Amino acid sequence: MAQPTLGPARPDVAETRPGGVAKARGRTPRSGRPGLRTSPWAGWLFVLPAFAIYAVVVLWSIALTFQYSLYRWDGIGPSTWVGLRNYGKVFTDPDLYGSVLNAFQLIVFFSVIPVGLGLVIASTIRRIAASRLALVARTVLFLPQVIPLVAAGLAWSWLLASTGLVNQLLARVGLGGATRAWLGDVSTALPAVGVIGAWVLLGLCTLLFLAGMGKIDPTLYEAARIDGAGPFREFVSITMPSLRQEIGVCLTVTVIAALASFDIVYISTQGGPGDSTMVPGLEIYYLAFSQREVGVASALAVVLMALVILCVLPLQWLTREESS
Amino acid sequence: MPRRIGVHRTGAMLTAVVMVAGCGGPGSDKPQGDATGTAVSSAPACGKAPVTLKGYFETGFPTPKALTTEFTRQHANVTWNIREDQFAVITQNAPRVLADDPPDLMRLPQVSDLVKDNLLKNLDGYAKVFGWDKWPASQLEQLRMGPGGRPRGEGSLYAMGLNYSMTGVFYNKKLAARIGMSSPPATLAELDAALAKAKQAGITPIAAWNGGATGGLAFPLQNLMAAYGPPGPINDWIFQKPNATIDTPPNLTATRHLEQWIKAGYFAKDINAIDYAKNLGRFVGGQGLFLFNGDWESAKLDKDMPGNAGFFVMPPAQQGTRPAAMSAPLAFGISARAPHADCAAFFLNWVATNSRAREIAVQVGGSHPMGPAGGHMPAIGRGTLTAATLAGATQVSKDGTTMDFIANATGAIYAKSWTPQLQKLVAGKQTPEDLLKSVQNDYKSQLGS
Amino acid sequence: MITAHREVWTGRVLLIGLMAITVMPFVSLFVTALHPSGTYPPGLDWPSHPHWGNFTGAYRAAHMGELLKSSTLIVVGVVPLSLILGTMAGFALGHLRMAGRRLVFLTFVLGLTLPFEGIITPLYSQVRDFGLLNTRWAIIVPLIGLFMPFSVFWMRAHFVTMPKELSEGARIDGANVWQLFWRIHVPLARPAISSLAILLFLWTWNQFLLAIVLVDDPAKRTMAGALGAFQGQWGTDIPLLCAGSLLILAPTLLIFLIFQRRFVTALLQGSLKG
Repeated sequence: MAQPTLGPARPDVAETRPGGVAKARGRTPRSGRPGLRTSPWAGWLFVLPAFAIYAVVVLWSIALTFQYSLYRWDGIGPSTWVGLRNYGKVFTDPDLYGSVLNAFQLIVFFSVIPVGLGLVIASTIRRIAASRLALVARTVLFLPQVIPLVAAGLAWSWLLASTGLVNQLLARVGLGGATRAWLGDVSTALPAVGVIGAWVLLGLCTLLFLAGMGKIDPTLYEAARIDGAGPFREFVSITMPSLRQEIGVCLTVTVIAALASFDIVYISTQGGPGDSTMVPGLEIYYLAFSQREVGVASALAVVLMALVILCVLPLQWLTREESS
Repeated sequence: MPRRIGVHRTGAMLTAVVMVAGCGGPGSDKPQGDATGTAVSSAPACGKAPVTLKGYFETGFPTPKALTTEFTRQHANVTWNIREDQFAVITQNAPRVLADDPPDLMRLPQVSDLVKDNLLKNLDGYAKVFGWDKWPASQLEQLRMGPGGRPRGEGSLYAMGLNYSMTGVFYNKKLAARIGMSSPPATLAELDAALAKAKQAGITPIAAWNGGATGGLAFPLQNLMAAYGPPGPINDWIFQKPNATIDTPPNLTATRHLEQWIKAGYFAKDINAIDYAKNLGRFVGGQGLFLFNGDWESAKLDKDMPGNAGFFVMPPAQQGTRPAAMSAPLAFGISARAPHADCAAFFLNWVATNSRAREIAVQVGGSHPMGPAGGHMPAIGRGTLTAATLAGATQVSKDGTTMDFIANATGAIYAKSWTPQLQKLVAGKQTPEDLLKSVQNDYKSQLGS
Repeated sequence: MITAHREVWTGRVLLIGLMAITVMPFVSLFVTALHPSGTYPPGLDWPSHPHWGNFTGAYRAAHMGELLKSSTLIVVGVVPLSLILGTMAGFALGHLRMAGRRLVFLTFVLGLTLPFEGIITPLYSQVRDFGLLNTRWAIIVPLIGLFMPFSVFWMRAHFVTMPKELSEGARIDGANVWQLFWRIHVPLARPAISSLAILLFLWTWNQFLLAIVLVDDPAKRTMAGALGAFQGQWGTDIPLLCAGSLLILAPTLLIFLIFQRRFVTALLQGSLKG
């Protein structure tokens, strides 16, 4: 990121305010607590509006979700206390925990493929990263991130149809026997949804890694070459460790995308066929608004929120460099 | 991203949670608005002032919009603001929309749950004023329900039909000639024989859809159920009568029969990915000998396949038994909080009694209009599908062998139970026995609440 | 051992292949949109008579003008206010001395990974109880709240890098905190603010869940939500659906192509910081 330039220095300060010289020039004695010396309340005034709307919209809603999860409620009428029974349902009903398992399967497609493939691709095109082709590629590879996820889902639903382009290409290369309705076959529907997600996220990861690789000192590679290391050794010993932060970011973003997926599944399969592509986000939507089981929906929502935190925390801890 | 969650922070959150949970539960204790009030003015009408009625209809079915256009032509002060959605989405949205964004007139997926939540207007008052209770009782039977939404079949009127439909089997006459089928099969065995011949001749025997949230195999399944057993118990189950079950021996035989059809390859391989409209396109395009569907498509098929489509009621398993068929009103309801309920009710009455409206119902919709016996009917071309389906409707209605759709048993039974189970059956991941047991379990848990 | 030359060529081929895969769905949408309405064209099949009229048909059927207006209004509602609040809060948390700012910051960070489905149910109840259902405010107000964690995080990350001497100098000159903020720091934060604006614009425009749950009228939704409604109404007519999807995609694509470098930098940094 381009560092903003410092403001113009004020050279006349020291001359016009002799008494203030010491203060302006000297370090204020404060132990390791940066921050401008102002009235402590000024800060709060600045934070309050943002915090207020955040608290009302997000924090209060999280609390309400907890509350709803302990009741049986249809959304309009009276509610009845059921304690932790909704959570019991979430963990014992195969439809409900099945959705969580599906989300974890999606992680393989949304996360592992974009990160893995992105690393490989980025390191392969590292050498031409400054060429004109790469600059055009930067724009093109970003397109999936710019369009709404529903549009990606719609476009791919059409591609994956039994008469769609994917089957057409397969037939062209002689794999006609493998053609099928990818989103309509219980065994391939979830991977097909995963492919859509991988398409959306691959470009982002590739470009992230490319940008990160740009920061690696090329002399490291030259030294490795001189030592006789092949491209694979280079990759493992030099590239990957330097990209630790970027890998962490990519993993975090993609894992959250997989666990919280809604748009793509809603528009392409609505959770079917059978229950093979049901994901927690969609299940919450159906439970709360279509089946009017707000309590169970909220319990699933709490479980989802906890899962996301549980998955992201270790990732952050493992890949974050020690910074404040 | 620094992420050290302090112990004190977790503690504060937990305290807040407990406090919130300790307060009273969410939701109001007062029941939702009084939908049981039935007093209406002596002559509900749309008045003379400009009025805009809000409608929520099903996409892809031209009849309701043809009717509203004609209504505006006759009553110029009434305009319509219509929102359309696919059936599965309407089913998902119905409770929410009726409660929070009430339309005046809405296509209803399944009525009992909506009545249970007091979301629909009680139409008894209108029925009395307009004389709907003088119509043949069977027309309105499925729209009546007891307090709380069950059982259906008796009680107050909560929805109205724009027409009542009839289902059966359409067939492609050209393809039938190819396999030597000169007349519709009279028994289930004859139908099976025709299916086998079609498969051998390389024709897709049955054009079906089973994708998305609306599993179309429910049509042939229910037809098979009716072929094997009397429609009464099936209707009892749909109407939520106490102790009703779908897991009966004749139904099991029917489901096994459907499984045989699947295993014999009588359906296209990709039906789990095909939706209703795409399947119709395939049948019209000649990819399929038989189509299990309803007379709402008669007019369209007459137009797209002139002289090439035939219809027959599903034959019984045993020769001589009276055939049964699904026949249900095209249910439309008025929201309990509709802004212009009187005008919407007036429209519903107009649909059943106005001659031009009845003509549209038949010519565009292909189905029989509701209304008094002997009401005006347009001349129907002989040999057309519409004539065949109307004749079929008259027959089963006279025989008393009509039934509602198994998809209408509860609000969620179609999307959450029948459809996923049928999709699994197609994929070979479910057995007929477990399919019925699973649906019955879902049914009980959705009701027993 | 792969020579440098071959590496370059492998790289080129890989890049082109990747771009082809990326562009494939758009091309498919475009080609299908040109087929006669109501048909189900197979795969990639240039029609014998391209029906360019499908695009005008879709434009009218979707009431694109209203959709554009609605999305723009929502963006205007969400982005400026989020920028102001986020910048102010980021300034305080990153640059001012403030009691308990660690705690406040961590509270914001908690919301960074929140999936929207986690709180959609109470959001619906709250919006309904306030009588805002089916209005644009139903999308605007929750989005401001939901984007606050990221906005604050982003701006704080910028303000933390601002040297203290700069502000102390200004304070000596008699500037109060607000003037310090508004006259000195905000102009310096312009790159960060503009990147944040781009990100927020994108996320608002493409917001789907809130739009379909809280707003029924497609003319009051975001473009992505309107696409959902368009699919609901016209989904059985594939060529029309493809044409409509492309039209709905067009504004974001256009803006992206115009501001590409800003976008790409913003998105890359957005992920790194997040």
